[in-house]
Amino acid sequence: MLPELDDIQVEKVNQRESENKANKRAVNVDMNPMVDLAFLLLTFFMLATTFSKPQAMELLIPAKPKEELAEKEMAVKESKTVSLVLLASEVKWYRGITDPDAQSLPYAELEPLLTSLNENTEGLVVLIKPLESSSYGNLVDVLDALNYSNIQRYAISELSPFDLDMEVQTEADE
Amino acid sequence: MPRLRSIKKLPKLDMNPMVDMAFLLVTFFMMTTTFKADMPAEIVIPFSKAELKIPDKDLCMITIDKEGRVFLGLDNKFDRKQMLGYVAQQNGLQLSVDDAERFSLLSSFGVPLEELTAFVSLEKTERKLYPQSGIPTNVNNDQLRNWLIGSRLANPNLRFAINGDQETPVYAVKRVFDILQDLNITRFNLITDTEKDAS
Repeated sequence: MLPELDDIQVEKVNQRESENKANKRAVNVDMNPMVDLAFLLLTFFMLATTFSKPQAMELLIPAKPKEELAEKEMAVKESKTVSLVLLASEVKWYRGITDPDAQSLPYAELEPLLTSLNENTEGLVVLIKPLESSSYGNLVDVLDALNYSNIQRYAISELSPFDLDMEVQTEADE
Repeated sequence: MPRLRSIKKLPKLDMNPMVDMAFLLVTFFMMTTTFKADMPAEIVIPFSKAELKIPDKDLCMITIDKEGRVFLGLDNKFDRKQMLGYVAQQNGLQLSVDDAERFSLLSSFGVPLEELTAFVSLEKTERKLYPQSGIPTNVNNDQLRNWLIGSRLANPNLRFAINGDQETPVYAVKRVFDILQDLNITRFNLITDTEKDAS
Protein backbone atom coordinates (compact mmCIF):
# COMPACT_ATOMS: atom_id res chain seq x y z
CA MET A 1 0.00 0.00 0.00
CA LEU A 2 1.38 3.34 -0.97
CA PRO A 3 1.19 6.25 1.45
CA GLU A 4 -0.90 9.17 0.51
CA LEU A 5 0.79 11.99 -1.34
CA ASP A 6 -0.07 14.56 1.31
CA ASP A 7 1.65 12.54 4.02
CA ILE A 8 4.95 12.46 2.16
CA GLN A 9 4.98 16.20 1.63
CA VAL A 10 4.32 16.87 5.27
CA GLU A 11 7.22 14.63 6.28
CA LYS A 12 9.58 16.43 3.94
CA VAL A 13 8.59 19.80 5.29
CA ASN A 14 9.18 18.55 8.81
CA GLN A 15 12.61 17.28 7.91
CA ARG A 16 13.65 20.60 6.41
CA GLU A 17 12.53 22.49 9.43
CA SER A 18 14.49 20.30 11.78
CA GLU A 19 17.61 20.57 9.60
CA ASN A 20 17.37 24.31 9.55
CA LYS A 21 17.05 24.44 13.29
CA ALA A 22 20.14 22.29 13.76
CA ASN A 23 22.16 24.48 11.40
CA LYS A 24 21.17 27.64 13.15
CA ARG A 25 22.24 26.26 16.48
CA ALA A 26 25.67 25.16 15.18
CA VAL A 27 26.42 28.65 13.93
CA ASN A 28 25.60 30.10 17.28
CA VAL A 29 28.39 28.39 19.22
CA ASP A 30 30.15 31.04 21.26
CA MET A 31 33.62 31.26 19.82
CA ASN A 32 35.01 33.90 22.15
CA PRO A 33 36.64 31.63 24.76
CA MET A 34 38.25 29.67 21.99
CA VAL A 35 39.57 32.82 20.39
CA ASP A 36 40.86 34.00 23.74
CA LEU A 37 42.68 30.76 24.24
CA ALA A 38 44.09 30.74 20.76
CA PHE A 39 45.45 34.24 21.10
CA LEU A 40 46.83 33.51 24.52
CA LEU A 41 48.79 30.60 23.13
CA LEU A 42 49.79 32.68 20.16
CA THR A 43 51.21 35.43 22.34
CA PHE A 44 53.02 32.93 24.51
CA PHE A 45 54.73 31.22 21.63
CA MET A 46 55.56 34.47 19.93
CA LEU A 47 57.31 35.71 23.04
CA ALA A 48 59.04 32.46 23.86
CA THR A 49 60.43 31.91 20.39
CA THR A 50 63.96 32.82 19.48
CA PHE A 51 63.75 33.97 15.94
CA SER A 52 67.15 35.26 15.08
CA LYS A 53 69.48 32.40 15.63
CA PRO A 54 72.98 33.66 16.23
CA GLN A 55 75.43 33.23 13.45
CA ALA A 56 78.62 31.32 13.81
CA MET A 57 82.08 31.71 12.46
CA GLU A 58 83.97 28.58 11.69
CA LEU A 59 87.48 28.38 12.98
CA LEU A 60 89.99 25.72 12.08
CA ILE A 61 93.02 25.33 14.23
CA PRO A 62 95.92 23.09 13.35
CA ALA A 63 96.07 19.72 15.02
CA LYS A 64 98.60 19.29 17.74
CA PRO A 65 101.93 18.32 16.22
CA LYS A 66 102.97 14.75 16.92
CA GLU A 67 105.73 14.14 19.43
CA GLU A 68 108.36 13.09 16.92
CA LEU A 69 107.60 16.06 14.70
CA ALA A 70 107.42 18.61 17.44
CA GLU A 71 110.97 19.79 17.00
CA LYS A 72 110.68 20.22 13.30
CA GLU A 73 108.96 23.58 13.40
CA MET A 74 107.73 25.13 10.27
CA ALA A 75 110.06 27.80 9.05
CA VAL A 76 108.49 30.93 7.64
CA LYS A 77 110.33 33.75 5.94
CA GLU A 78 110.38 36.81 8.09
CA SER A 79 109.45 39.02 5.18
CA LYS A 80 106.25 37.10 4.67
CA THR A 81 104.93 37.64 8.13
CA VAL A 82 102.61 40.36 9.24
CA SER A 83 102.06 40.89 12.92
CA LEU A 84 98.91 42.38 14.34
CA VAL A 85 99.02 43.58 17.92
CA LEU A 86 95.54 44.00 19.31
CA LEU A 87 95.12 47.20 21.26
CA ALA A 88 91.80 48.29 22.69
CA SER A 89 90.70 50.61 19.88
CA GLU A 90 93.24 50.04 17.12
CA VAL A 91 95.60 47.51 15.66
CA LYS A 92 99.34 48.00 15.44
CA TRP A 93 100.72 46.17 12.47
CA TYR A 94 104.16 45.64 11.07
CA ARG A 95 105.97 43.35 8.69
CA GLY A 96 108.86 41.15 9.54
CA ILE A 97 110.17 40.48 13.00
CA THR A 98 113.53 42.16 13.37
CA ASP A 99 113.60 45.93 13.27
CA PRO A 100 109.91 46.42 12.48
CA ASP A 101 108.19 49.66 11.65
CA ALA A 102 104.81 49.59 13.33
CA GLN A 103 101.77 51.49 12.12
CA SER A 104 98.42 51.77 13.77
CA LEU A 105 95.07 51.27 12.14
CA PRO A 106 91.48 51.18 13.35
CA TYR A 107 89.79 47.78 13.34
CA ALA A 108 87.37 48.75 10.60
CA GLU A 109 90.16 49.35 8.10
CA LEU A 110 91.90 46.08 8.73
CA GLU A 111 90.19 44.14 5.99
CA PRO A 112 91.30 46.24 2.99
CA LEU A 113 94.84 46.27 4.33
CA LEU A 114 94.92 42.50 4.71
CA THR A 115 93.39 41.99 1.28
CA SER A 116 96.06 44.10 -0.38
CA LEU A 117 98.83 42.48 1.63
CA ASN A 118 97.55 39.06 0.69
CA GLU A 119 97.51 39.95 -2.99
CA ASN A 120 101.04 41.30 -2.92
CA THR A 121 102.67 38.61 -0.85
CA GLU A 122 102.69 34.96 -1.71
CA GLY A 123 102.40 32.68 1.28
CA LEU A 124 101.53 35.44 3.71
CA VAL A 125 101.44 34.43 7.35
CA VAL A 126 99.57 36.60 9.80
CA LEU A 127 100.54 36.53 13.45
CA ILE A 128 97.83 37.67 15.78
CA LYS A 129 99.27 38.96 19.02
CA PRO A 130 96.70 39.62 21.68
CA LEU A 131 97.83 41.59 24.68
CA GLU A 132 96.95 40.68 28.21
CA SER A 133 94.34 43.42 28.07
CA SER A 134 92.85 42.50 24.69
CA SER A 135 89.27 41.37 24.54
CA TYR A 136 87.65 38.51 22.71
CA GLY A 137 85.71 41.03 20.62
CA ASN A 138 88.98 42.36 19.19
CA LEU A 139 90.08 38.86 18.32
CA VAL A 140 86.81 38.12 16.56
CA ASP A 141 87.15 41.36 14.57
CA VAL A 142 90.56 40.31 13.37
CA LEU A 143 89.49 36.74 12.58
CA ASP A 144 86.56 38.12 10.65
CA ALA A 145 88.82 40.38 8.60
CA LEU A 146 91.13 37.45 7.95
CA ASN A 147 88.26 35.27 6.78
CA TYR A 148 87.07 37.94 4.43
CA SER A 149 90.44 38.67 2.92
CA ASN A 150 90.91 34.96 2.20
CA ILE A 151 94.05 34.60 4.23
CA GLN A 152 94.55 30.94 4.98
CA ARG A 153 97.55 31.02 7.24
CA TYR A 154 97.37 32.76 10.52
CA ALA A 155 98.27 31.99 14.06
CA ILE A 156 97.67 33.35 17.50
CA SER A 157 101.16 33.80 18.80
CA GLU A 158 103.13 35.04 21.75
CA LEU A 159 104.26 38.60 22.21
CA SER A 160 107.80 39.49 21.26
CA PRO A 161 109.84 41.97 23.35
CA PHE A 162 109.10 44.57 20.69
CA ASP A 163 105.34 44.11 21.16
CA LEU A 164 105.70 44.40 24.89
CA ASP A 165 107.60 47.64 24.45
CA MET A 166 104.81 48.92 22.29
CA GLU A 167 102.22 48.04 24.88
CA VAL A 168 104.13 49.95 27.52
CA GLN A 169 104.46 52.90 25.17
CA THR A 170 100.78 53.12 24.30
CA GLU A 171 99.86 52.91 27.94
CA ALA A 172 102.27 55.77 28.63
CA ASP A 173 100.69 57.81 25.81
CA GLU A 174 97.28 57.41 27.28
CA MET B 1 11.97 48.50 10.29
CA PRO B 2 14.54 46.92 7.95
CA ARG B 3 17.15 49.38 9.22
CA LEU B 4 16.57 48.46 12.83
CA ARG B 5 17.01 44.80 12.05
CA SER B 6 20.36 45.32 10.35
CA ILE B 7 21.65 47.20 13.37
CA LYS B 8 20.56 44.39 15.63
CA LYS B 9 22.46 41.86 13.55
CA LEU B 10 25.75 43.75 13.60
CA PRO B 11 27.26 42.37 16.86
CA LYS B 12 27.18 38.86 15.47
CA LEU B 13 30.59 38.88 13.83
CA ASP B 14 31.68 35.71 12.13
CA MET B 15 34.62 34.64 14.24
CA ASN B 16 35.51 31.53 12.28
CA PRO B 17 38.14 33.03 9.96
CA MET B 18 39.78 34.71 12.91
CA VAL B 19 39.89 31.48 14.86
CA ASP B 20 41.27 29.71 11.82
CA MET B 21 44.01 32.25 11.49
CA ALA B 22 44.83 32.30 15.18
CA PHE B 23 45.17 28.53 15.33
CA LEU B 24 47.18 28.49 12.16
CA LEU B 25 49.65 30.88 13.75
CA VAL B 26 49.64 28.93 17.00
CA THR B 27 50.47 25.74 15.14
CA PHE B 28 53.20 27.52 13.21
CA PHE B 29 54.83 28.89 16.33
CA MET B 30 54.51 25.60 18.15
CA MET B 31 56.26 23.79 15.35
CA THR B 32 59.06 26.25 14.82
CA THR B 33 59.70 27.27 18.38
CA THR B 34 62.95 26.53 20.09
CA PHE B 35 62.90 27.75 23.62
CA LYS B 36 65.48 30.15 24.85
CA ALA B 37 67.91 28.26 27.00
CA ASP B 38 68.45 30.18 30.17
CA MET B 39 71.93 31.59 30.15
CA PRO B 40 73.99 31.36 33.30
CA ALA B 41 75.67 34.64 32.53
CA GLU B 42 74.86 37.66 30.46
CA ILE B 43 76.74 37.42 27.20
CA VAL B 44 77.09 40.19 24.66
CA ILE B 45 78.24 38.34 21.60
CA PRO B 46 80.69 40.02 19.23
CA PHE B 47 79.77 41.03 15.70
CA SER B 48 81.07 39.52 12.54
CA LYS B 49 80.14 39.18 8.90
CA ALA B 50 79.95 35.41 9.12
CA GLU B 51 76.74 33.93 7.81
CA LEU B 52 76.89 30.38 8.99
CA LYS B 53 74.03 29.13 11.10
CA ILE B 54 74.92 27.28 14.24
CA PRO B 55 73.85 23.64 14.10
CA ASP B 56 70.48 22.75 15.64
CA LYS B 57 71.55 19.56 17.31
CA ASP B 58 74.69 17.80 18.45
CA LEU B 59 75.91 21.07 19.81
CA CYS B 60 78.25 21.58 22.71
CA MET B 61 78.31 25.18 23.78
CA ILE B 62 81.24 26.53 25.71
CA THR B 63 80.27 29.85 27.18
CA ILE B 64 82.94 32.20 28.48
CA ASP B 65 81.69 35.28 30.24
CA LYS B 66 83.24 38.66 30.89
CA GLU B 67 85.14 37.48 33.93
CA GLY B 68 86.51 34.46 32.14
CA ARG B 69 84.22 31.95 33.82
CA VAL B 70 83.60 28.91 31.67
CA PHE B 71 80.21 27.23 31.34
CA LEU B 72 79.40 24.11 29.44
CA GLY B 73 76.11 23.17 27.84
CA LEU B 74 75.02 20.21 25.78
CA ASP B 75 71.77 20.23 23.86
CA ASN B 76 70.77 16.65 24.54
CA LYS B 77 69.61 15.32 27.87
CA PHE B 78 70.98 11.82 27.34
CA ASP B 79 74.36 13.11 26.26
CA ARG B 80 74.54 15.17 29.42
CA LYS B 81 73.85 12.13 31.54
CA GLN B 82 76.46 10.06 29.78
CA MET B 83 78.98 12.86 30.02
CA LEU B 84 78.34 13.12 33.74
CA GLY B 85 78.76 9.37 34.03
CA TYR B 86 82.21 9.53 32.47
CA VAL B 87 83.39 12.49 34.52
CA ALA B 88 82.05 11.05 37.77
CA GLN B 89 83.79 7.77 37.08
CA GLN B 90 87.09 9.49 36.25
CA ASN B 91 87.05 11.51 39.42
CA GLY B 92 85.53 8.98 41.78
CA LEU B 93 82.52 11.20 42.30
CA GLN B 94 79.51 9.58 43.92
CA LEU B 95 76.23 10.87 42.59
CA SER B 96 72.81 9.44 43.30
CA VAL B 97 70.54 8.46 40.45
CA ASP B 98 68.31 11.35 41.42
CA ASP B 99 71.11 13.85 41.19
CA ALA B 100 72.22 12.50 37.84
CA GLU B 101 68.68 12.91 36.59
CA ARG B 102 68.59 16.49 37.84
CA PHE B 103 71.94 17.22 36.27
CA SER B 104 70.68 15.98 32.94
CA LEU B 105 68.00 18.66 33.04
CA LEU B 106 70.48 21.52 33.29
CA SER B 107 70.96 23.29 29.99
CA SER B 108 74.33 24.53 31.12
CA PHE B 109 76.44 24.65 34.21
CA GLY B 110 79.66 26.19 35.43
CA VAL B 111 80.77 24.83 38.75
CA PRO B 112 83.91 22.97 39.75
CA LEU B 113 83.49 19.28 40.45
CA GLU B 114 83.83 19.81 44.18
CA GLU B 115 80.68 21.92 44.20
CA LEU B 116 78.75 19.86 41.68
CA THR B 117 76.79 17.68 44.09
CA ALA B 118 75.72 20.63 46.17
CA PHE B 119 74.82 22.61 43.07
CA VAL B 120 72.75 19.86 41.51
CA SER B 121 70.75 19.14 44.64
CA LEU B 122 69.57 22.74 44.93
CA GLU B 123 66.07 23.77 44.04
CA LYS B 124 65.62 25.43 40.68
CA THR B 125 65.13 28.92 42.04
CA GLU B 126 68.05 28.61 44.44
CA ARG B 127 70.21 27.30 41.65
CA LYS B 128 69.69 30.48 39.68
CA LEU B 129 71.07 32.50 42.55
CA TYR B 130 74.02 30.20 43.14
CA PRO B 131 77.28 32.00 42.36
CA GLN B 132 78.76 29.67 39.77
CA SER B 133 82.49 30.12 39.63
CA GLY B 134 83.00 28.47 36.25
CA ILE B 135 84.61 25.20 35.28
CA PRO B 136 88.33 25.33 36.11
CA THR B 137 90.57 25.36 33.06
CA ASN B 138 93.98 26.09 34.50
CA VAL B 139 96.80 23.73 33.77
CA ASN B 140 96.92 22.14 37.22
CA ASN B 141 93.22 21.59 37.53
CA ASP B 142 91.91 21.16 34.03
CA GLN B 143 88.38 19.96 34.59
CA LEU B 144 87.05 21.29 31.32
CA ARG B 145 89.17 18.75 29.50
CA ASN B 146 87.43 15.87 31.30
CA TRP B 147 84.01 17.25 30.58
CA LEU B 148 84.89 17.66 26.91
CA ILE B 149 86.24 14.12 26.64
CA GLY B 150 83.07 12.90 28.33
CA SER B 151 80.87 14.85 25.94
CA ARG B 152 82.76 13.49 22.97
CA LEU B 153 82.34 9.94 24.23
CA ALA B 154 78.65 10.52 24.81
CA ASN B 155 78.16 11.78 21.29
CA PRO B 156 80.94 11.45 18.72
CA ASN B 157 79.12 13.73 16.29
CA LEU B 158 79.19 16.61 18.69
CA ARG B 159 80.09 20.02 17.29
CA PHE B 160 81.67 22.58 19.51
CA ALA B 161 80.80 26.23 19.67
CA ILE B 162 82.41 28.95 21.70
CA ASN B 163 80.16 31.65 22.98
CA GLY B 164 82.25 34.47 24.33
CA ASP B 165 81.44 37.95 25.51
CA GLN B 166 82.89 40.90 23.64
CA GLU B 167 84.84 41.83 26.71
CA THR B 168 86.11 38.39 27.63
CA PRO B 169 89.87 38.56 28.02
CA VAL B 170 91.62 36.87 25.14
CA TYR B 171 93.79 34.68 27.33
CA ALA B 172 90.70 32.94 28.75
CA VAL B 173 89.54 32.13 25.25
CA LYS B 174 93.03 31.15 24.16
CA ARG B 175 93.19 28.68 27.01
CA VAL B 176 89.98 27.03 25.80
CA PHE B 177 91.37 26.96 22.24
CA ASP B 178 94.45 25.22 23.57
CA ILE B 179 92.42 22.60 25.41
CA LEU B 180 90.36 21.95 22.30
CA GLN B 181 93.51 21.68 20.21
CA ASP B 182 94.99 19.31 22.72
CA LEU B 183 91.95 17.07 22.39
CA ASN B 184 92.26 17.18 18.61
CA ILE B 185 89.09 19.17 18.21
CA THR B 186 90.35 21.42 15.49
CA ARG B 187 87.11 22.57 13.96
CA PHE B 188 84.74 24.62 16.01
CA ASN B 189 82.46 27.59 15.76
CA LEU B 190 82.64 31.01 17.31
CA ILE B 191 79.20 32.36 17.93
CA THR B 192 78.76 35.86 16.61
CA ASP B 193 76.02 38.25 15.71
CA THR B 194 75.47 39.68 12.27
CA GLU B 195 77.22 42.97 11.95
CA LYS B 196 75.06 46.01 11.85
CA ASP B 197 76.17 48.32 9.09
CA ALA B 198 78.34 50.81 10.82
CA SER B 199 77.50 53.97 8.98
